[in-house]
Amino acid sequence: MGLGISLERMRYLKQYFKERPPTDVELQMIGQTWSEHCFHNVFKGDVITDDGRLINSILKTYIMRSTKELDKDWCISVFEDNAGIIDFDKGYAVAAKVETHNHPSAVEPFGGAATGVGGVIRDILGVWGEPVALTDVLCFGPLETRYDELPPGVKHPRYLYRGVVAGIGSYGNNMGIPTVSGAVIFDKGYTGNVVVYCGCIGILPKDAYVRNTRRGDLAVLAGGRTGRDGIHGVTFASAELTEEAEELRSAVQIPNPIVEERLRRAILRIRDERLATGITDLGGGGLSCAAGEMAYRSKLGVDIELDMVPLKAPDMAPWEIWVSESQERMLLSVPEENLERVLEIFSEEDVEASVVGRFVETGRVRVFTRKTVVCDLDLVFLFNPPKVTRRARIPRLTPAWVDLKEPIDLAGEILTLLSDPNIRSKEDVIRTYDHEVRGCTVVKPLHGEEAGPSDAAVVKPLRDSWTGIVISCGVNPFYPDPYWMAAASIEEALRNNAAVGGRRVAILDNFVWGSPENEDNMGRLLKAVEACYDFSKALDTPFISGKDSLYNESPLGPVRPTLLVTGVGIIPDIRNVVTISLKEEGSRVYIIGSTKEELRGSAYFRLKGVDGGEVPKLDAKLSRSLINSLIRAVDEKLVLSCHDLSEGGLGVAAAEMVVASKNLGIELDLGKVPSNTARSDYVLFSESTSRFLVEVDGARWRRFEELFSGLPFSMVGRVARGIGLRIIDLKNGLHELSGSEIKKAWRGY
Amino acid sequence: MRLRVEVRLKPGHFDPEGDVTAKMLRDLGFPVTMVKTGKVYIVDVESDDREEALRLAEEMCRKLLANPVKDDYSLEVLPT
Amino acid sequence: MSLNGFKACVLRTGGTNCDLETSIALEEVGIKAEIIHMNRIENKSLLDYHLVVFPGGFSYGDYVRAGAVWGKNVLVKLRIELERFIEEGRLVLGICNGFQVLVEAGILPGDGVSETPSAALANNSSARYECRWVWLRVENNETPFTMMMEKGEVLRIPVGHAEGRFLTRSEKDLEELKKNRQIVFRYVLPNGDCANGLYPFNPNGSTYDVAGICNRKGNVMGMMPHPERAFFGWQLVEWGKTPPERGDGRKIFESIVKYFRERIY
Repeated sequence: MGLGISLERMRYLKQYFKERPPTDVELQMIGQTWSEHCFHNVFKGDVITDDGRLINSILKTYIMRSTKELDKDWCISVFEDNAGIIDFDKGYAVAAKVETHNHPSAVEPFGGAATGVGGVIRDILGVWGEPVALTDVLCFGPLETRYDELPPGVKHPRYLYRGVVAGIGSYGNNMGIPTVSGAVIFDKGYTGNVVVYCGCIGILPKDAYVRNTRRGDLAVLAGGRTGRDGIHGVTFASAELTEEAEELRSAVQIPNPIVEERLRRAILRIRDERLATGITDLGGGGLSCAAGEMAYRSKLGVDIELDMVPLKAPDMAPWEIWVSESQERMLLSVPEENLERVLEIFSEEDVEASVVGRFVETGRVRVFTRKTVVCDLDLVFLFNPPKVTRRARIPRLTPAWVDLKEPIDLAGEILTLLSDPNIRSKEDVIRTYDHEVRGCTVVKPLHGEEAGPSDAAVVKPLRDSWTGIVISCGVNPFYPDPYWMAAASIEEALRNNAAVGGRRVAILDNFVWGSPENEDNMGRLLKAVEACYDFSKALDTPFISGKDSLYNESPLGPVRPTLLVTGVGIIPDIRNVVTISLKEEGSRVYIIGSTKEELRGSAYFRLKGVDGGEVPKLDAKLSRSLINSLIRAVDEKLVLSCHDLSEGGLGVAAAEMVVASKNLGIELDLGKVPSNTARSDYVLFSESTSRFLVEVDGARWRRFEELFSGLPFSMVGRVARGIGLRIIDLKNGLHELSGSEIKKAWRGY
Repeated sequence: MRLRVEVRLKPGHFDPEGDVTAKMLRDLGFPVTMVKTGKVYIVDVESDDREEALRLAEEMCRKLLANPVKDDYSLEVLPT
Repeated sequence: MSLNGFKACVLRTGGTNCDLETSIALEEVGIKAEIIHMNRIENKSLLDYHLVVFPGGFSYGDYVRAGAVWGKNVLVKLRIELERFIEEGRLVLGICNGFQVLVEAGILPGDGVSETPSAALANNSSARYECRWVWLRVENNETPFTMMMEKGEVLRIPVGHAEGRFLTRSEKDLEELKKNRQIVFRYVLPNGDCANGLYPFNPNGSTYDVAGICNRKGNVMGMMPHPERAFFGWQLVEWGKTPPERGDGRKIFESIVKYFRERIY
């Protein structure tokens, strides 16, 4: 396999190596450092659009700019380190990171997914965070795909599904970190390119966030041994998945969660004794990237002695050791006087640790083996290669008329949607993940006596604080307009957060896209990041971290472009959390927000095989007002239960509230829903943004209405005992579903 | 001496992993009627005596590798 | 009477991951708890403690069989002391992986330590990990771990395991357990009726719906469900609907306190 270096960069390289030829170790290091995976060439490079604009770094121009302009004092570290860090409570901060591990999972689903979890946990350890929760969002091809539809090299979705789910569960469960939030999406657009997002949330004392590597500090490598597993993972990450990819199996890392569990214990002890000056995890590019980046960010240099690295196989070449991506390894910078204690802690926790080098004032990375220099590179040269330029063709969504007869049996439509693979219960997956370990999970993925689907998860990480971390996600890959798709995803993350009482939400972006060398892919990406700036700014929610995975190509074409937005909010007192189960017979049910004929890309239209009409758009100002009022209502304890309206709209949201409830159901009058449509099916299944269904205390509804005065909302019904859904449509027709019918459709049993 | 130790469920013991695997294989179109799972350990012992090696392996099973409540085992000396 | 004199040792080894929340639960009820790594147990005497807890997790990656490696490790390192510890009537509690360890070390259901286990915790009949809240019925409320409960009381506590299907060597062994009142908890339906193996109320397919057992004397107990995850009201799955003050799991820890208070060593 090649190094994946462009022509322009080859020239830059040649210029640097005028005096002597580069060594293999140097070439490998350069290849890794400049890879898309490590360097994010596309996000940091230039984009030229077909309408004549030149954009210098879409990351800085859009995503980071909004964070900068919002300038929140509670953002402690953004886009700098392994994870984003925000203020929490009682002197603690929350760290959050979400990664993708698509390519490794496509080749070896169990190991690929497991090491994805392992990697993102190390990202949190890499900012001295104690991991407290995991999230995962997985996208597969339809499970019923026929074998003869699959080209060689593409594995069956069912095989991938089983392996990925088992891999994720295995790593989180073994480490004892609860997997609390996530989603599973099925679509043909993922058959060739499985998508595995893994996220981790951690907590750390603010003053333990030490990043102060000094001259003379020792480089200590700790954790698993270094082997041939996972060589060239980063360059592999940007290769097209074809039959040949099979041969790249050595690029897949082998998971060992128990080693990482011990590593976690040791690192947290070292943190608590403040023994190290810096830390980073070994991920893409292995030791080469970790050591280089640590030295560069500290404005130092580093000398590494490869002979000191503990190996799995004795006969490894120096370049293999240097770029191996063996799992469960961390690099620390340790002042000499603390070394003995650091090594003692590692040994007490059964973790292998070795001094492999020293940070020096050279501004260079030098690598030695048997006293010979095998790599000597200037760090400024290494980290400032020529920018990459991409061309983007701005997409224009073709308008299409909708030809769909209004169905008579609305109840039947609801049941069909409830049993859709993308909406139905994910219990089969969720229960194989331990979401209770650590004993801190307040709102669980399946909550309440009837185990209904929660909008967001809440964990209570500190023993002596009632403040909770609220974790949510937004992902709407089916909306065909990338700009509004991104807007809807950001707002969905906020909505889900608010639905349980979360606020002050920081967000993380994770793009999974097809090749950026394709101008249409690039155009769509550009529209999506534009929306990221516009709406994170307008919704007052800063991005704190992100990651892009481009080049998701297979013989079946590019991946369905997918943006995952993860929301990390807080709730000041977990005793005020709101869940989706209906609480009281006779209480009032309100819909918040207005319903429009926005069904393009909706679950309902996809079910009907219709592509047309309008995609859901977003009025950010209105969204903010609605969410702020909702949070006030939560804090005043007016809200008994709440569910956000997303996939499947009002019909599915109301049904899911019934799923979560015991013997309680909802009477719903569609005529009362503030909307601009005359069709009952559109009222029920529109996916307009900024909407919630809220159960309000029967005695204090006036105060609730006062909080929303001037905003679109309406009482649409009441909670009733012994029913499921009783819907009166716009023509006064009655549609009824029993609770057990609804539960059976959603749960599948 | 190199030994192969195979630990499997006793006859009549419920093997959920085997059953799930069988179902999966049937889903894939294989005419599978039964799958039983087990674990194989390849063990090198410091002994040149065949009987001695087998006796050690027996003890390994008794002490760690098998739980007699549910597991059977078989031992084999492998050519090195 | 103060509990100052009574100390608990929460053991851990590589892969243990429920030690912290378990010791928090102990401390909340007033028992001083120390988390001690197996690597450092040699420097301590078990007999300085009155309760030893084997908490949940995936000790040694659950390689070979869940709990097997740690179980044997306990035999190698602690056998004599632990035998005396149990003999003297001090308490041993195994939760989840800790239960598997006690079974693999032959400490449960037998009396004393043995190289050959006489029970097993086999793969769940669903063939997968099961994280869910179950209903448990108290079958024996005369153990040090259940004295704050009523016989027949139904508790709500979560499980999280892939190997929890309790098996005995024979019908006869099971009858022995029943006769000796060694079955402490059984999985039941929400109304308290026997689950009779019905999934998911019996989440793993355990024989006779067994969720937790003790030794004959009652001072060693192992259970698959996690009482430390049902300790505070806010941990409960029904949280959000008339929030309860405390969880049912707390009663196990309170029972231990009551036992300590009433019994003087």
